[in-house]
Amino acid sequence: MIRKVGQSIDALVVYRRDQPHPELHAFRWEGRRYEVSQTNFVHTEREGETIYLCYSVTSAGDHFHVRLNTRASRWTLEEMEMEP
Amino acid sequence: MSRWIVHLDMDSYFASVEQQAQPSLRGKPIGVTGKPTERSIVTAFSREAKRYPVTTAMPVWEAKKRCPDLLLVPGHPERYVETSRRFLEILKEYTVMIEVYSIDEVFMDVSQEAARRGGPVAIARDIQRRFRDALGPCITATLGIAPAGKAFAKLIGKRNKPNGVGLLRDEELPDLLRTTSVGEVCGIGPRIERRLNQLGIATLADLGTTSDALLRREFGVYGLFLRQLGLGRDPTPVIPYTEIPPPKSVGHSKTLPPEMRDVSLALLVLRELADKVAARLRRLGYVSRTIHCGFRTGILGPGYAKQATLALPSDDGETIYRACRSILDAIPVHPAEIALVSVSAANLLERGALPDALFEEDRRRDRLNGAVDTIRTRYGDGAIRLGTSLLLKPLPQHVGGFIQETWEFGPARGVG
Repeated sequence: MIRKVGQSIDALVVYRRDQPHPELHAFRWEGRRYEVSQTNFVHTEREGETIYLCYSVTSAGDHFHVRLNTRASRWTLEEMEMEP
Repeated sequence: MSRWIVHLDMDSYFASVEQQAQPSLRGKPIGVTGKPTERSIVTAFSREAKRYPVTTAMPVWEAKKRCPDLLLVPGHPERYVETSRRFLEILKEYTVMIEVYSIDEVFMDVSQEAARRGGPVAIARDIQRRFRDALGPCITATLGIAPAGKAFAKLIGKRNKPNGVGLLRDEELPDLLRTTSVGEVCGIGPRIERRLNQLGIATLADLGTTSDALLRREFGVYGLFLRQLGLGRDPTPVIPYTEIPPPKSVGHSKTLPPEMRDVSLALLVLRELADKVAARLRRLGYVSRTIHCGFRTGILGPGYAKQATLALPSDDGETIYRACRSILDAIPVHPAEIALVSVSAANLLERGALPDALFEEDRRRDRLNGAVDTIRTRYGDGAIRLGTSLLLKPLPQHVGGFIQETWEFGPARGVG
């Protein structure tokens, strides 16, 4: 089951020279900090000229879908996964 | 130097990618669909779902009947394409002799690399380890290895699924030929299998002992290839990805839901399909001389199709649509409703090989198409559409694929 969120978030990111995309380490949403314990999947999506990097991450046992607008350098929490 | 052909097949590919991207789906029987409606089909099942008697491309209603706990998940093509791109990048580090057979299947010729990398099995295990590290634990691959060629590498891989490595040694070949029915091998489909069975040929060994003359008489030149399979040899070379053959045709089809089967609506869908085919031709840099158009009057109903040759090769949607209309007019059937429409463009020529359009009207149309392509590249496919599409107001609610990808596959989605 997916819960849509679609809210802007603050993100703590590391750019590694040997990684194809930045590593998301933590994000802040509604005043709470979430440490990313696992990056499950990263893929790109394109809307017109804008390329998004889509992250599926796990934090404290919860799963989140986070998206980086690479044009505007803005991070959004798109969805939260809940057990079906 | 020994010949080593490797067949790599991703296990339950689309479902595995979904389980990797959505951890809450792991360990559950899931089915990946276009849209989770009863009329849709399931394109991939997870390993958990495969414990039930389900098969790929099974209708959703039947899959749910056979596997009551099945969770339906909408597919995300961009995830599969990205994963394929990543695993191909890994494979390129082993050899350039990689033939991309489909989005989740690859043939490799590692004959040259096997000796210095510890043998083909060591290469296969190393690839599996690299996949686990780079793609995640859910996305696994099975590798089949055979000196006898591609068909045998694929066969031995299939027998070692999932997440396995199978090696077929030359000395094991006679046993395999004796015990393998002809239909199990890639290259022998149900129709050829039926005809072989009618000739009393049931196993590959039977095929090997059948005369060339008989096989040639029954199957033409293909009969000689069949004989080779029967002898335990598939001489087909691995065609590296660097030598991708040009496309032979470009086509689209659409199955319409019952409420969209009115002929006038189907023609509007056909117009959109013609536009899609034309846009793809332009993107690939081809023009087409032959247009093929068809329809079905029911999902399982009879199909009608014809083709027409254009006076001048074209990559213009309006020209392709007009050709489709003339094709449909030539089919002596006037159905009350249409369940499926299809358009394809064949007999392709490179666009650059043609001179510029002679008449101003044609040049204007080229410029218009160029401008539309630029807008779509910049703002997405849904940014500019045909005026007739406005008449298809219910289309986005019922038929996917026309609107910008974000509508069907984008972030604003739920999982059923």
